[in-house]
Amino acid sequence: MRRIVCFFLTTLFASHLFAQNTPLEIGQPAPEISLPQPDGTPFSLSSLQGKLVLIDFWATWCAPCVEEQPELKVLYDKYQKANPGKFEIVGVSLDKSKENWVKAIDRFKIDWIQVSDLMFWKSPVAKDYGIEELPFNMLMDEQGTIIAINLHGKELADFISNYVR
Amino acid sequence: MVLLNRWEGIRIFVKTKDDMRYFILLFAAMLMLCSEMRAQQQQEPWNSNQLMEPENLANRINKNQTANLLILTIGPDALIKGSVDMGPAQEAENIDKMKGYLKKVPKDKEVVIYCGCCPFDRCPNVRPAFNLLKEMGFKNAKLLNLRKNIKVDWLDKDYPINE
Repeated sequence: MRRIVCFFLTTLFASHLFAQNTPLEIGQPAPEISLPQPDGTPFSLSSLQGKLVLIDFWATWCAPCVEEQPELKVLYDKYQKANPGKFEIVGVSLDKSKENWVKAIDRFKIDWIQVSDLMFWKSPVAKDYGIEELPFNMLMDEQGTIIAINLHGKELADFISNYVR
Repeated sequence: MVLLNRWEGIRIFVKTKDDMRYFILLFAAMLMLCSEMRAQQQQEPWNSNQLMEPENLANRINKNQTANLLILTIGPDALIKGSVDMGPAQEAENIDKMKGYLKKVPKDKEVVIYCGCCPFDRCPNVRPAFNLLKEMGFKNAKLLNLRKNIKVDWLDKDYPINE
């Protein structure tokens, strides 16, 4: 009997251990992102240490993500342009079509960092960050630690404003 | 008999006039909610019999039982094994492409479409595509019931994909 219980507990524990999409938590280090930019230049998230970084996971096929881009533009103009060394945005696109991705960058005049492997949901970054749906974002502090997950609209603006003050 | 018992049950709770009024109000509200929900369901171009469960499709693909089935993606990417890419159906040019493609397909062929960007209530692609299938007279049109998205309801389940 004891053996059965033990077996059961072990399988339960193991299945937990191997469960996919372990959600990230505040206080954990943000997993590295190494992906190309639209012109093919490689980018690494770790190169932004020392800055507050908003990592915005989005795609042109995600309507709420697209709607959010003008809001990000406002934040970028306000905090990055005033203080280039302190704040950065990285847009990680889960698009499949490069054409759609580049068109949207032009259309919304996105001048922050954009990266993508153009692998849609198959992108390893989706697994690394345990993303189950878009929009999804994360704020990373100067040491690369996650300090906020999935804040949008006023909550996001307030958080950044309080942080940089 | 069951009905009688139910009424008796209600009579135990409903003793005063106020109770009765409250009960009627509640009942009316529930009735309205129900009919509204039904109306909303009726607005969708598909009915519940036309939804195909992802597990069923995955089984059929794995067992090579897809000879009489056409799988079309009308969303961002043709992830499902053997599916044909029509492009997002919210764009008119992709609807034209789909129309052209379907002209050669017999009307009694089972056609299942999927998008998988997001739940149906937020998806801009499933309705135009399903309406086209209906307009063109496909009697065996199906919509893949990806409740959340293709990541959670297909990829994470290790169902077969186009490599």
